[in-house]
Amino acid sequence: MRGIQLPLSQTQKVRLQKTLEQLESLSSKVNSDASVIIADSIPVNHEDGVLKGHGTADLNGEVVATVCGVVERVNKLVYVRALRSRYKPEVGDIVIGRVAEVAQKRWRLDINFNQDAVLMLSSMNMPDGVQRRRTALDELNMRCIFEENDVVCAEVRGFQHDGLHLQARSRKYGKLNRGQLLTVPPYLVKRQKQHFHHLEEFGVDLILGCNGFIWVGEHIEAKDDMVEDQVSQSDPPVLLHNSASLEEQEKNYTILEIRKYICRAANAVRVLSILGFNVTLEIIKGIIDLSLSMNLDIHEMLGSEFCVLVAEKEAERRSSNKKKR
Amino acid sequence: MQIEGIVTQQPTMGSLKRKSPEEPSASSSLPLHDCVHHVSYPPDYTHPSSPPTQTHAEPAKKFPFTLDPFQSQAITCLENGESVMVSAHTSAGKTVVASYAIAMSLRDGQRVIYTSPIKALSNQKYREFKEEFSDVGLMTGDVTIDPNASCLVMTTEIWRSMQYKGSEITREVAWIVFDEVHYMRDRERGVVWEESIVLSPKNSRFVFLSATVPNAKEFADWVAKVHKQPCHVVYTDYRPTPLQHYIFPSGGDGLYLVVDDKGKFREDSFQKSLNALVPTTEGDKRKENGKRQKGLVLGRVGEESDIFKMVKMIIQRQYDPVILFSFSKRECELLAMQMAKMDLNGDHEKDNIEQIFNSAMDMLSDDDKKLPQVSNMLPLLKRGIGVHHSGLLPILKEVIEILFQEGLIKCLFATETFSIGLNMPAKTVVFTNVRKFDGDKFRWISSGEYIQMSGRAGRRGIDERGICILMVDEKMEPSTAKNMVKGAADSLNSAFHLSYNTILNQMRCEDGDPEKLIRNSFFQFQADRAIPDLEKQIQLLEKERESIVIEEENSLKDYFNLLEQHRSLNKEVRDIVLSPRHCLPFLQPGRLVSLDCTSSDEDLTPVFIEDQLTWGLVINFERVKSVSDDDASVKPEDASYNVDVLTRCVVKKDKIGKKSIKIVPLKEAGEPLVVSVPISQVNTISSLRLFIPKDLLPLEARENTLKKVLETLSRFGEKGLPLLDPEEDMKIQSSSYKKASRRIEALESLFEKHEIAKSPLIKQKLKVLQRKQELTAKIKSIKKTLRSSTTLAFKDELKARKRVLRRLGYATSDNVVELKGKVACEISSADELTLTELMFNGVFKDIKVEEMVSLLSCLVWQEKIHDGAKPREELDLLFMQLQDTARRVAQLQLECKVEIDVESFVKSFRPDIMEAVYAWAKGSKFYEIMEITQVFEGSLIRAIRRLEEVLQQLIAAAKSIGETQLEAKFEEAVSMIKRDIVFAASLYL
Repeated sequence: MRGIQLPLSQTQKVRLQKTLEQLESLSSKVNSDASVIIADSIPVNHEDGVLKGHGTADLNGEVVATVCGVVERVNKLVYVRALRSRYKPEVGDIVIGRVAEVAQKRWRLDINFNQDAVLMLSSMNMPDGVQRRRTALDELNMRCIFEENDVVCAEVRGFQHDGLHLQARSRKYGKLNRGQLLTVPPYLVKRQKQHFHHLEEFGVDLILGCNGFIWVGEHIEAKDDMVEDQVSQSDPPVLLHNSASLEEQEKNYTILEIRKYICRAANAVRVLSILGFNVTLEIIKGIIDLSLSMNLDIHEMLGSEFCVLVAEKEAERRSSNKKKR
Repeated sequence: MQIEGIVTQQPTMGSLKRKSPEEPSASSSLPLHDCVHHVSYPPDYTHPSSPPTQTHAEPAKKFPFTLDPFQSQAITCLENGESVMVSAHTSAGKTVVASYAIAMSLRDGQRVIYTSPIKALSNQKYREFKEEFSDVGLMTGDVTIDPNASCLVMTTEIWRSMQYKGSEITREVAWIVFDEVHYMRDRERGVVWEESIVLSPKNSRFVFLSATVPNAKEFADWVAKVHKQPCHVVYTDYRPTPLQHYIFPSGGDGLYLVVDDKGKFREDSFQKSLNALVPTTEGDKRKENGKRQKGLVLGRVGEESDIFKMVKMIIQRQYDPVILFSFSKRECELLAMQMAKMDLNGDHEKDNIEQIFNSAMDMLSDDDKKLPQVSNMLPLLKRGIGVHHSGLLPILKEVIEILFQEGLIKCLFATETFSIGLNMPAKTVVFTNVRKFDGDKFRWISSGEYIQMSGRAGRRGIDERGICILMVDEKMEPSTAKNMVKGAADSLNSAFHLSYNTILNQMRCEDGDPEKLIRNSFFQFQADRAIPDLEKQIQLLEKERESIVIEEENSLKDYFNLLEQHRSLNKEVRDIVLSPRHCLPFLQPGRLVSLDCTSSDEDLTPVFIEDQLTWGLVINFERVKSVSDDDASVKPEDASYNVDVLTRCVVKKDKIGKKSIKIVPLKEAGEPLVVSVPISQVNTISSLRLFIPKDLLPLEARENTLKKVLETLSRFGEKGLPLLDPEEDMKIQSSSYKKASRRIEALESLFEKHEIAKSPLIKQKLKVLQRKQELTAKIKSIKKTLRSSTTLAFKDELKARKRVLRRLGYATSDNVVELKGKVACEISSADELTLTELMFNGVFKDIKVEEMVSLLSCLVWQEKIHDGAKPREELDLLFMQLQDTARRVAQLQLECKVEIDVESFVKSFRPDIMEAVYAWAKGSKFYEIMEITQVFEGSLIRAIRRLEEVLQQLIAAAKSIGETQLEAKFEEAVSMIKRDIVFAASLYL
């Protein structure tokens, strides 16, 4: 219950309490005694060749934790998985960031890491799709691709000498618009095979960034970058965007229904974030369906009653999952 | 030296008009050759409505000579912005296409990548392009120069890892040149090409340069399909200098022209050459069994060796410079040693060589200059003789290449590796052997290999023709020779396989999917191609099967099955009766036995007809000595025996002179002979024994004995000879015998009842039925292959390998890569699973840096060394740890149904260079470590360089798990081994 900020009535409180207890009993107890706080010593039974990974340090021959978290062991490697830390990037992660600065040949993105990530101009596909060296002109036109405060989706490429680098491998990465950016604690997003999701029944795209930034937006048909559109190549890229014409506004218009679904999905994520549950596609879908079947208004989704209900449903789901196994 | 005999075969150099060397041969030979040009379009490709408008009036690069048709054809494709595959001989001038692609990309402000299979080749190309274009960079495992240049020369491995890791370059590269793309069929490394091509950016264009491959079109089709863009094929067989092929029979003393420069094979001359072959005496032959080079290497006492005669002749006729290919490093050196007496250079050339050599060696420290390989090389080189193989120090190899290009080496002994890469032609190419050892046996050189190596013969614009000499030391069929010399090039087949590193790297990124990679592989493409063919086959066979109509098929089938059963039961009984335990006491001399034999008319004996039998007399029997005959362990009952039987035989001699003996029925023509047959070939044992004369040597005695056998046979007539009764005479009591014999009786009574057995023509009918059943079986097997090729190739293997990754904790069941998997992702230069397991088991943690380096050497050393000394105890302990880990990994793979041979996997890690690497890491000089190991200098250097690559990957891995101490340790290891001659920079840089 600690940390959950909800105005609850007495019955709701009891219900939530009960659900949380149930959830706790369901969770595996393997690591329950392995939580450490800073400077706790981690027992290694004087084994030889212990590898001390992240979050540990050597102090007078003892392995001690340097962060609060859970001790994890892989063969002889011991490391501490920190709870409630900032996002820690790993190669191949899908992240969503906000452009903080347009710099020389690069954008700097806030991705909730302890430093800004770098997205090089050359790590982006050119809007015209042509494979070529970037020129000074391209550099001058960088703001046509992303400008400050744009929301951008990219993949973590790795640490280079000058910081964390991102890249956009294909067309599906890039600027995100017509949707909502939500931030949740990064530990709620687990790494999965897929982070890009298309909720077909709602016409909504959902991108779960590993850094805890979650994008809910109108579905955009991803252009298959394998087939290069012969026509679009000949079109000169629109470099100036001062006057948004009526036609363009028309093009940018998102129909109300979809906007509602976007909000619904976003609120589903918010509920999960309030409750501190993992954010996965399956659960989000479940919550949206639940809210629809109850005929709830979008704003009602954030009410205490719905949250408690979601918690109860989740406990039910997990216990039935467990029984199935 | 006798050369009068061969005057007729000598090329008539004098009578031909000499072309001046400056004149480009292309312009004159234009009508002489042509090239084939195809275009492969991707499925449902719509042609752009209008041809590309931005045609540049000005070519990106002008050449000082007229282009050959295939070159200009390929360049046209490039200018149209479409991919092209150029398949031509090594000397034809494919580089022109590559350099045009580079020039064009530089003109258009695009990036271009040039990949080649070998580091040394990359270095050479880098130098070549750097001189021409200047905006050129180089990336190999050893060295990185100017990675921001527009044109990057790299090894294919680097390009692949760049695509996995993601690099700016992948988004800027417009053209990718794959040189020597036929490397794709390489069993070990070929998969790198396939992956690189599949993963290449979708909007880039390709230039593939390859040796002649017959299925270039298939390759282009694949590229077109995978990248959804048209791909052109430009194929030419053209050689700028025509070749003449000669044979030099061993022990003989002349050359015989077998293929002239028009490409005609001369049978008569080939036969003459074989007749001139001096046969080695029987004794010699036995001695050198398996080591056939002996005669070539040693020569006979007091006589000049063949190779010496050969070189002498070549020099006399001014056929130099010459490259002599042999197939092992040792042989290369031994052959060169025999040239000790020869001096091919004048004083001026000698000075030149010494100067070049010394200035190159100045890079080395004084200690390294004293290496025997270095100090022994110069005298040899000064005489115009060189050696080139992978065991040489890289720097020596490069000096020799440079000297050869300068024409200062007249006679170069090289291994196959010299045949790929940079243009280093000679006038003459000699094959010192026609067979090569390919890992398990000696085999003929394939025509593809022959084409590749003979491609070095003939210098464009200098020589009228190239000369190829084949040294033959054994009889060979004209067809074999013809195939070798005139055969087609090897076709380009996929050698795709999955590695854990590939799977993990694919799983790690969001879009990656190992299955997609497989689906796009050339392997899958080739498998899919076979489908229509297989379907057609099935249809044909089915049609044939339908056409066979049999009356009363069902009851016939029934009968047939009964016959089959009867047969198999009979066999069972026979096996029991003939087991040595039972029958040995009865195989006395003179015993009449019946044998299986083949009738002289070679008709397919259908199963239902009784086996052809003949009779013979037992003379003796003896135990067969198996390879590992340990008398104590094998009981006499279990050993296998041979029986010597006197019977009628036909003796045939095949062309090679090998005798083959066939047993025939007694009444047919043949010689009475005593043959040794395995007991299983005996059919039945009769209860009769005949008297055998004491001396069987005279033919008459044997003939008479056989006559007696015939007589006996006829006396018993229809009934046949009385047989030994298994129960009464032989006292066989086993239950299985009784069971089988009871069932036979039951079956025989069934035969009686079967009405169809009485029908006339039963035999023919059964024959037809058998044919029909054979067809059904065949259709079934083809259908099976069809099924396996329509489903995804490697699907099961991928599943199994993913299972391994899960079991080891590298990935979750949702295909999300875990910490261990991320470490394995980083390791591509050694076995990723074993190394990752070693690391996570903390093996590297508590050992000294030198020990660690030494341990890692086992993972990069691949050459086999016989009776290498065992390393000292501490190292051996470590090695055992490695073996344990490897065994565990292999065992687990086996459990997960990955096909793997556990022991050979464990044995693939070899401790041979542990001591040497340990000493090197300790700071020893290179000449010191060469004293404690027998391996070639070049091989050791290559291993240490690769070791450094592995260490760099381990540094990245240690960083990713946050183990800073280990990271520092790996860094220290790198600094300890990266020094002196081992990492001396290439001369080309």
